[in-house]
Order: sequence, then structure tokens, then C-alpha cells
Amino acid sequence: MKHIVIIGGGIAGMQCAVELSSLGISATVIEKEHATGGKLASWHRLFPSFTPAEDVLGELRLKFAKAANISLRCGVTATEITPRKVTLSTGDELECDAVVLATGFTLFDARIKEEYGYGIYDNVVTSADLEDMFNRGEIVLKNGNKPRRIALLHCVGSRDEKVCQRHCSKVCCVTGVKQAIELKEMFPTADVFNFYMDIRMFGPGYEEMYREAQVKHNVHFVRGRISEVSPTIDGRLQLKAEDTLTGRPLKMSVDMLVLLVGMRANEENAELAARYGLQCQESGFMKPQDNFMHNVESNVEGIFYAGTITSPKSVGETLNEATTVALRIKDWLQKQ
Amino acid sequence: MINFGFSINKPRVIDIDNNNLRKSNEIILEMPELQACIGCGSCTASCTAGNLTDFNFRKVHTLVRRGEYQGAYMELNKCMLCGKCRLVCPRGINTRGIVMLIKRKLGDF
Amino acid sequence: MTFFALFCIPFIVGATLMFLSVVLKYFSWLRQLPTSDMILIAKGIFTPRTLSAVWEIVCESLLHRRIFRRNVVLGYMHMSLAFGWFLLIVVGWLETLSYLGTEWVPLQGHVFFKYFVPLNGIEGHKPLFDNVMDALLLFVLSGVTLAWLKRVRSRLMGMRRTTKHIFFDRIALSALWFVFPLRLLAESITCAIYGGGGFLTGNIGTLLSQHIDADVLMALYEPMWWMYSSALGIFFVAMPFSRYMHIFTEIPLIFLRHYRLRPAAKTKSYDNFEIEACSRCGICIDPCQLQSQLGINDVQSVYFLRDRRYNMLQQKIANNCLMCGRCEAVCPVGINLNTLRQNSRTTMRNIPNEGRYNYLRGIDLSQGEGRVGYFAGCMTLLTPNTMSAMQRIFEAAGEKVWWADKEGSVCCGRPLKLSGESDSAQKMIDYNKSLFEKHNISTLVTSCPICLRVFREDYDLQGIEVLHHSEYILRLLQQGRLKVGYSAEQRYTYHDPCELGRGSGIYDQPRAVIEAVGILLEPKHNRRDSLCCGSSVANTAINDAQQLTIARSVADELEATGAETIVTACPLCKKAIARGTKHSVSDLSEIVAKNLK
Repeated sequence: MKHIVIIGGGIAGMQCAVELSSLGISATVIEKEHATGGKLASWHRLFPSFTPAEDVLGELRLKFAKAANISLRCGVTATEITPRKVTLSTGDELECDAVVLATGFTLFDARIKEEYGYGIYDNVVTSADLEDMFNRGEIVLKNGNKPRRIALLHCVGSRDEKVCQRHCSKVCCVTGVKQAIELKEMFPTADVFNFYMDIRMFGPGYEEMYREAQVKHNVHFVRGRISEVSPTIDGRLQLKAEDTLTGRPLKMSVDMLVLLVGMRANEENAELAARYGLQCQESGFMKPQDNFMHNVESNVEGIFYAGTITSPKSVGETLNEATTVALRIKDWLQKQ
Repeated sequence: MINFGFSINKPRVIDIDNNNLRKSNEIILEMPELQACIGCGSCTASCTAGNLTDFNFRKVHTLVRRGEYQGAYMELNKCMLCGKCRLVCPRGINTRGIVMLIKRKLGDF
Repeated sequence: MTFFALFCIPFIVGATLMFLSVVLKYFSWLRQLPTSDMILIAKGIFTPRTLSAVWEIVCESLLHRRIFRRNVVLGYMHMSLAFGWFLLIVVGWLETLSYLGTEWVPLQGHVFFKYFVPLNGIEGHKPLFDNVMDALLLFVLSGVTLAWLKRVRSRLMGMRRTTKHIFFDRIALSALWFVFPLRLLAESITCAIYGGGGFLTGNIGTLLSQHIDADVLMALYEPMWWMYSSALGIFFVAMPFSRYMHIFTEIPLIFLRHYRLRPAAKTKSYDNFEIEACSRCGICIDPCQLQSQLGINDVQSVYFLRDRRYNMLQQKIANNCLMCGRCEAVCPVGINLNTLRQNSRTTMRNIPNEGRYNYLRGIDLSQGEGRVGYFAGCMTLLTPNTMSAMQRIFEAAGEKVWWADKEGSVCCGRPLKLSGESDSAQKMIDYNKSLFEKHNISTLVTSCPICLRVFREDYDLQGIEVLHHSEYILRLLQQGRLKVGYSAEQRYTYHDPCELGRGSGIYDQPRAVIEAVGILLEPKHNRRDSLCCGSSVANTAINDAQQLTIARSVADELEATGAETIVTACPLCKKAIARGTKHSVSDLSEIVAKNLK
């Protein structure tokens, strides 16, 4: 039986293992954390259908547990990767026929955009923090009050040369609209403002969700990037932006500011590239052979990519890609 | 009175067919990065002069790029060249250089 | 004796033209000096400053002490040429004096003495002079050899790059290179025919007479002296219009500088002395980060001064400078390169506009009340960590503070001044000054070194002490008004902001503050030699990617110290360096606020 080592136990790695198993190929998943699920494990609900992340992950975990010939190694990392052998941090050596890199992405550290005050002022949170709050079921300000006016800022750590992140992180626009709706559902009387540069609603049902946010939920959309955040005397946050559609500067005070943080390439990507002859893109994400017929193959024979290691992707896209990887591997193994 | 950015007397349309784009092209040729502007308004929002007046850098350079030079030089004279806009521009545009370039090109307009 | 031969004509014409043009130049520059500068000269001329100027001329113009400190070989090269030639003239003059007493001898008589008076066998021959003159000639020739080597391999003299010269300089340079070898040949041939000479010319002369027919030597004799004289003539004619004008100009410059003349925000006649005192040695090229990091090769101070001198300065050259002052710090002539660059920009761009910035009238966005004023500066408004750290420090010290610009402010005026709009900058200076006076503060603290510099240099704030926050924090610590915890576990490295370090001479205070909270590790380039972060407001020419390249190189050097935290004391440096590193970058105030007890 052919054996594949998958590095990364997020949804890409898990889905890939499940699909490989159904194709009669065994797989070992290496996960550095103590549980599978990756970033999705801490997410609340998914756009555009508001499906609980738990449902998706639950189903995937169940399939993963039931599938034959899958083994899981949690709490370990790979120290040496070749297409035929992976060495673990425990010193174990895993023989294999191919390797899948599914190490995902890093969330942008909002503290780098100092002018937004993350880590400086209370009540400046990131989209990930907000999901965490949704999970806990309570959204309160530091002083215990409920927010009455909330702003969401798009493109934090995306499309920003100043933090060396040129690329669009793709999912934050949709997440921003989704979170605005969720906030409105929680606090129907609160005012919610989305500050955006461009609204990129690229997928099925996204545009409809956007329209729903505008019309049904009365979410305000302001076209302009927030440039500075400062505290007010009463402990709120004062925002400065330009309302570019009217061409005038805008300032407003809010109770809470949500920063829609972008997806950043893992720092280890550069090292992966240097050590194993792989290629990185300008954005730092790994570079597949091409964007079409070989979009999950690396330039090294026997090393495949699954999920957000190559570019920002939504949950659905990631799952699709993981399936593709399994099929391509089978194809490739038969040709060997 | 509310300033809606136009008046009844002047024709409002930006007439690209009849505007003379020569200077605009010269400016863009010298600093092509200006075309990278996505109009996010960070420059205007952080602008020291814009905080005190109706100066709007984004609007001025966009109009200049469309061949609307009237008044641009005088508007840009409100800029203090403090450089905050350059520090916040997500597209890495050399905004101070642009201010100086447009003034140099349009100085005799 | 008449002391004249036809071959002297090129020399006489050249020397005359040279002295005439030099005198004319100096005369017109001095005449055009503004009255205030004239008064300074009058006040200084009969004081010990004149003596100290003479001493500096000996040390610098002749011995080239500053270049020696930089690189011994390079120093020797400059010294052998300058001091050697000077001694050749002096000793040559003494030689004539010793033979002919006080008889008047025309200039060419001194220069071509060996031609007019073949010394061998004459009564009272003094071989000592022959040998000393030969030794000096050898000394100069060694310098010429090194100069030639420097053209081929500048690294031998500790320079990665040397100046690319224009056509006129090349002519003068070639003529200069030929002067001394030709002198050696002319004198040696003379010795070959008439005998005599010192250890160098004498021995070469003997060698020549042994191997070459007397007829041939006789045929070469006059032409050699012609060539020597012509090389001198060509050099002299080219000199006032080439870089060699520095040979003379450095002397009046040193005097004027000792009388406290300085270049100012607007160009004036004095600038000519500084500009033409540049020898285009090219020492300013290597420290320039635009050169070393970005490969920009035509904007460095040497080229800027050259272009300005020949009236061919372009805006794109004048604007493309970080004004970090690294070149100024190493300039062996001590030219005020930043001020000259700035006033060139003013000449090109300044538009006196009475109506400009009239909107400033009556604006006051300040908050709070106190004898201590805090002016964060435009850039600091984008680094709120610094703002909140300063707030905590003020609270901990129990200081009542007037916040000048929490809600936004009017720029200090320095960016405008640096870009050449000095008259407009004055409007901002006037506005802020009256704001400070209106609120009756006694101390003004700022977190921005750019603001600090203009407050100190151009504001003339009577009764208000201007402090950078590093100085202010250190004072609080020393007075015991602020207590911080020290941890030997915490290692910091410090980046000197250009405007704070080289610009305002503040090196020790921030270091003392850091050492109060942890261990300080110095990067390779520090203090006067520190690097620029690349985001300087003085440069409006380089693009974002180029700024980032410089920032990365600076960050690499800071990371190499092994410190966990990079500390700086300028919001612009902080933003720039943070782009180039994954390490945490903090303002000085942040690490103090974090360790408050």
C-alpha cells in the first residue's frame, strides 16, 4: 500500500487524508498542536450561510476518525522533509511515497498597524477575537457595557505595502459583512459601520449576503480606510477616515473597533523553499507549478500543496483543493 | 452653505475628450506609482492640512490625472509637506514627491 | 642673470592667469558677502581665532590630518601631494636664497632654478639642497603613484568607490600627474649633460649619460623643459575652473569659518568658498546609503557640489538626498553639505507667497494646562504607543502637561524647509511659536527629532527650554521623579535617528535611559557613524521599495546585535525599521513606561 505523509492537521490536511483513504492510499497526518482542526477550530460561523464551523469540522473529524489507514501524530513537527522520508521532532522517521504540505497561513498581527491601536486601547479587537467572543456567546466592552456603535475595518494587513503585504486576503471582505450581520443580530439597535476600500464578493451567495447586510440589517458602508484611532476622554475610540464618496474627512467615535486581519504567509515558507528547493511567491505563499493543470503540485517531484499554503482561500475552496490533491497523488503514483 | 463640490456655473462633467492630458501624462510618466492609488483616502484622513481646511490630496491628484488642472496648484499650496500621508499610504506612493511634482508641472498653468 | 628662456612662457602665462582668476573670484565673493558676515569677519580678524585658523590650515590643508585618521594610505597620498609640493616650493626658494642672496629672482627663476643655474662645480655648491630637493620630489612622486593607483584600485585606500570626474577635471588631473615625472626627467637630463644633482636626479642623470648618446640628450634637453613648463601651464590654467581650486580655497574658508561664518537657509556668497573648497576626493561616496544600498551613483555630495558650482544642478539630483549627514560627518574639508543642499533646494523651489497658510490664523487644538508642553509631532500621532507611553510617564512623574497636538496640529515647518520652501516654513514657525508663547510654558518636550531640531535652530523660543523626550526622561530619572525596574535579562539595541544624533548631538541621553532598564548592545554603525532608516523627510525622490531596501539593511544590522528589542527615539525611524524586521521595535518612551515602578 502506498503511503503519504501530510504535514498540517487543519481542514486541508484532514480532508486530504480522508480522500486518500477512500482511494486506497494510507496517510499519516502530522499536527504541531494537540488537536486537529487548525484555525477553523476557533471560528464561530462560516459565510455566507452562517453555518456553524463546528458542524463542518465535526463532520470532517468524524470522517477522519472512521476512515481506514489514517494515522495521526499530534504535538510533533517535521524537522526534515523529503518526498520519500519525513523526520519528526521526536526523531522518528516516516517512510512515504509522497508528501503533502498543508501548513496553512498565519493571521496578520494587528499590533504591527500601530495607528489602529490594537493592544494599546481597550475595545480594539481583531476579527479572530470577535469569533472567539461569538463562541463564548458574550460581546461586552471592557467596562462591561454593550456596544452601541461598532466599526469594522477591512484590509488590515492586506493590500498594504507598508506592512509588506501586497496581496488581497480574499476572505476578509466577506467575513466583515458576515460579522456585521452577526453583530446586528446580537445588538439590533447598535450602529454598525464597515470601512472598506473595495468590497470583493467573489463567491456564490456572497453578493446576496452583502445586499442583505445593507438592506435588511442596515449596516452602513463607508468607503475609506481608517487612518488613525485615538482614545476619547470618555474611554471610547475616535476614528479618522476619509469618506471618499463625498470627498470629505470623517471622524466618529465608536465603542468597539473590529480589525479584519488578513492572511499572511507562514514565516517558515521561506525556510521550506531554501531547504528543499521549493519556490515562494512574492507574497511569501508557496508557488505551485501553475495555476491550472498543476495547481497543487510543487516544483519538486513528490511534494504537493493543499489549502492556504499557496494563497488565501475560503473554507470551501480549501476542502475542494484537498480533494484534488488526493486525486492528483493517485494519478501521480500510478504513473511512477 | 454646504459645499457639494460643484457649483451651477461651471460645467460639472469631466470631459476627457476635450481635456488636455499632456501634463497629466508627463506627471504619470515621471511617477508611475501615482496610478497605483486605490482611492482609500488614508492620505486625506491623516492629512495635517486637511484637518484644518478643505484640502483633499486624493481629489486633487485624481482630478489632475483626469486633466482637470484648474486650481490644483493653489490647492496643493495648502499642503505642509509633513509626510504623514506617505507614512500611511497602503500603496507606497511617494505622496510628497507627487505634491512637488504636480506643483512643478502645473506651476505655470 | 635674466632668468628667462622661451620655454618659460607656458608657465608664466598659466601662473598669471591662475593668480588673476583666483584673486578675482575671492574678491567678488568677499565683496558680495552680506553685511552681517562682513561684521563677523571684522570682529574676528584681530583675535586669537586668526591664529587657530593658521594652525588648522597647517594641519588640514598641508598635513591632511582628518584623512589620515580615516585611512593612513589615503592620508599619506594627500599629504605627500600637498605638503610635498609646498615644501618643494619653500625649499626651492631657500635654495635660490642661499645661492643668490637677496637678489630678486622672478618666479620662473625659482621654479626652473636647475635650468638656469646648473650647480655642479660652481663655487660654494651645496649638495645638501640637491639631496633635500630630490627627497622632496621623490616624496611627491610617491603621492602621484598612489593617486594613480587609487584611480585603478580605490580599495587599496579604504575607498570602495572614487569620484567619476568630468572632462575639465581629467585634463587638470592628467596635467598634474605629468608635472612631477616631467620635472624629474628634465632635471635628470640636465644632470646627465652638466653633471651634479642629488641622489635621485644625479644618479638617473649618470645612468642616462651612460646609455644614451650625448647628441640625443642635447636634443631632448630643451623639449623636456618645455614639456615640464607646459604641464605646469596647463594645470594652472585649468586649476581655477577645476576641482584643484580647493588647493587655495580651503585657506580663506578656514579663516572665514573661524570667524563664525556659516551657510544659511538661503544661498549667499559665502557658500562659494565652501563649494569650491571641495576637492572631489570622493570620501563622501562610500557612506552614502543611496549608493551602497540602492546603487544610485550621481547624487552624492561630491556630485551635488560639482553640479551646483558649474550651474548645472538639476532638481532630481538636489532632491535625492536623505540629508542623513553621514557624508558631512566624514568630509575632510568639513563642508556643511546638508545646509548647502537645503539652500540649493530653496533657490530652486522657494516661492514667497504671502497668502499661503493664512488658514492657520486662530487655530488652537491644544488640550490641558501646565508649565510643561508636549508636542508629539505629526508622525508621533501615527505611533500611539509613544503617545500613551508619554502620558504614563507624565502621570508617574506627577507632571502637569499642556498637550499641544493631541487633536492634530500644525507641522513644525522643518519638512517644508528641507524641501526648499523656507519662506512658507516660516509661517508655520511663526504660528507654532505664538501658540507656545500663548500657553505660557517653560519647557517644551517633543518626541520627534525633526521637530526638535527646528525648534532649537529656527524658533528662537525665549524662556522656553526645548527638550527631546530622551533628555526629559533622563532628567526625570536623575531627579528621582521616575523609578524604573532594571532587568539584566532584557537586551536592547539602539538606532540613532539622524536628526537626533548627528543633527542635534544627542547620543548619550537615550543610551543612559536604556541602560537604566536593561542591557544595551551597540550595532556596528553607531553614534556619529549610525545609519539612516531611509524614510527621511528630506528625500522626496526615492520610492517606497527603495526606502524599504534601506530599512531592511538597517534592521539587519540591528538584529545582528542579538538584542530582543530594537529601540529608537524617532517615530519615523520606528515605522521604517519595523517594516524591515520581525523583531519588536519600540520607542524609548515605551520601554520606560513598560518598566515603571
